[in-house]
Amino acid sequence: MKVTRRDLLVWSAGAAAGLLATPVPWKVLDDVSIWSQNWPWIPQPTRGPVEVKQSFCTLCPKACGLRVRMAAGWAVGVAGSSTHPISRGALCPLAFAAHQLNWHPLRLRSVRHGASRSTWAEAQAAFAKASKEGPLVVIDGYPGRAASSVLESFAEKQGGSYRVFAPAELRALASYERWTGIPAASLGYDLENANTVISFGAPLLDGWGTPGRFTRLWAERAAGMRDPQLRLIQIDSSLSRTAARAWQWVEIREGSESASALASGLAGALHEQNLVPAHSPVPSMTLAESAAQTGMSVERIRELARLVVAKTPALVIARDDDPAVAALNVLLGSLGKRGGIVRHSEQVKPYVAAESVIGSARAVLIDASVPWDFVPQTDAEIFRFAAWDGGGTKPDWLLPAPGFLEDLMDLPTAPGCSVLTYGIAPALVKATSEVQSAAQFLCSLDGSLPTTAKIIDSRCQTVFRRREGSVYAQEIFEMAKFTSVQTFKEQLLKGAVWAGEPTASPEFHCLLKKWPNPARAVAAESWATEWRAPVMPPLASKLYQESGLRESLSRRNA
Amino acid sequence: MSKWRNSFVFALGATVALLVGWVVFPRVLYSHKHQPLDFLHKTHAEKSGLADCGECHSIRADGTFAGLPAVEQCAACHSERVGESKAEAILVDSYIKPGHDTPWLVYARQPANVWFSHAIHVKRANLSCTECHSSYGESDMARVYEVNRISGYSRDIWGHSMSRLRRAPHEGMKMSDCEKCHQQRNVEVGCMGCHQ
Repeated sequence: MKVTRRDLLVWSAGAAAGLLATPVPWKVLDDVSIWSQNWPWIPQPTRGPVEVKQSFCTLCPKACGLRVRMAAGWAVGVAGSSTHPISRGALCPLAFAAHQLNWHPLRLRSVRHGASRSTWAEAQAAFAKASKEGPLVVIDGYPGRAASSVLESFAEKQGGSYRVFAPAELRALASYERWTGIPAASLGYDLENANTVISFGAPLLDGWGTPGRFTRLWAERAAGMRDPQLRLIQIDSSLSRTAARAWQWVEIREGSESASALASGLAGALHEQNLVPAHSPVPSMTLAESAAQTGMSVERIRELARLVVAKTPALVIARDDDPAVAALNVLLGSLGKRGGIVRHSEQVKPYVAAESVIGSARAVLIDASVPWDFVPQTDAEIFRFAAWDGGGTKPDWLLPAPGFLEDLMDLPTAPGCSVLTYGIAPALVKATSEVQSAAQFLCSLDGSLPTTAKIIDSRCQTVFRRREGSVYAQEIFEMAKFTSVQTFKEQLLKGAVWAGEPTASPEFHCLLKKWPNPARAVAAESWATEWRAPVMPPLASKLYQESGLRESLSRRNA
Repeated sequence: MSKWRNSFVFALGATVALLVGWVVFPRVLYSHKHQPLDFLHKTHAEKSGLADCGECHSIRADGTFAGLPAVEQCAACHSERVGESKAEAILVDSYIKPGHDTPWLVYARQPANVWFSHAIHVKRANLSCTECHSSYGESDMARVYEVNRISGYSRDIWGHSMSRLRRAPHEGMKMSDCEKCHQQRNVEVGCMGCHQ
């Protein structure tokens, strides 16, 4: 019997049909997809004995507590630490994937001068020369750390200036600093004792402050309740994630002018209905003008004013520095009161904002904690420390800084927190290349500067001597239980956090006699565009960008 | 005639494909490896009185899983040869005396992007070891380790059944198996629960 071409074709058709009834196509597809996820050049977590260490997220000043899973000396996983009294186990998606950041393709591994590679010795020589030739400006994005003290000391010794790039939570407290003389960094929001929170666009449930702090409070005292113990009134131009979950969403026109106008309108309505003391400042804007600017009706503003004082203590939170919004807290008597704006420390001095004019500087040193997209408007020679290259504008010198948990760091009180806290994040992982923090760089130039480790020692002693507060580890220890500063520091190095006592601070002496002018108009932008991480680890990309939680960098830069 | 011939040829092609797909393909896809030495769970349970899996595969105080015992743990009994078997000689001479960990091939090893907590499943959910690992702890031989030539994963991840249709309850450790078990028990876990 002769085999024809037709036979071959029919046989092939039969084989193809038969193959579909076998696991071959499906199994090969599955295996090939797995194989393609494991290319040899993709860094793989190390296999080895696993241990879990307590530490802190060092990526931003919120200082959330972490449990870091370590395998053979490398961080391979991160989870929130439920023992942390402020973050209470919650993390933002970036922190969840922070261990991946050290392996990011855009990780800086060598010194760059312009477009070419350079060395640390050349960078030091160039910086020493520039800082001698003219005024020096040092910019810090995470003030209050031991490393910040090194930066500040160096700037002072050189006759230069130390400036701070403050997060929005801290900027929102700037008005109180102007009216009371108390530095914004030593003020905080007593959210835990507030019964009504009026948020003027601050994304309280979407990344504002320490992520777990308000979300946990909201979950305990408001979520799912028809008449919640904690009333959140969200004033927003769109149905943001916070607005969608708030007890009430008050829709206003877009732009900061609307927020200021509504604050003035509310103040007017509070006075009109005798809901606040008569001697408190009165805005010049009428209710009708306020209604016209905000797009709300006069009656709605009056009703909102009644709601604000219906369940006290009431606390007003601005999204950024907005004097009119801040003045509402003065009107409501929320300064220095339980459930209002409280002072948690005495010794902090005011910071000079990084945005202030630095045009005359000869050299600008930018710490790695400053957001990548902050670009100083100056002709000075810029020495920028960064762990990752976010692209875009290039500084004169790009200096590789330690990545996630590659450097010893202390963690002062998070912005907006109502109690003092202190923690230490030891260097849990080895740096994979030659990196230096800005503080180490300056200490190598000036041997008389105290090192970060020494400052941390001295801070531990200061906290220990106060004998106040508690240490939060797997269990809570009273400070009296620690017999020496050494045992206290050891506990902190193991990831415990010290938290001071919530203080009933005296009412502030407030110089505000006249209703403030509205905030200057700023370009309308959503909270999403304030996301400033230079790079994204793969896991955070999935959570932030693919889910639309945050706008992608490529879209923003387009 | 031509119609019958075509049907026959078609059926022949289909039969060959079915034979290749169900018989030849699994043998080609998985390569066979042997453990470095023949470890006998049953013997250890009977002679050493190790009644509980956790005595060797312990969960530490911090909740992490110790996994396979370190060579020091084996050395507690096998610092010198205990018997005359070949496996005993390999264990003592190649691993315990030089102080090298035995390079066991782990049947249930999950890919690196998976974080599985034994503590949560064993202590909180009260799952027994056999629900995922079958009764391997009672076996009297070290079974062959089958590794997928394409993905590099152990066959235990997919399960022994190539179609995955008739696999035993303990077979299969793919994400869909985790999800199915969680659905059955009405336990919700987000992405971050396993992919930290």
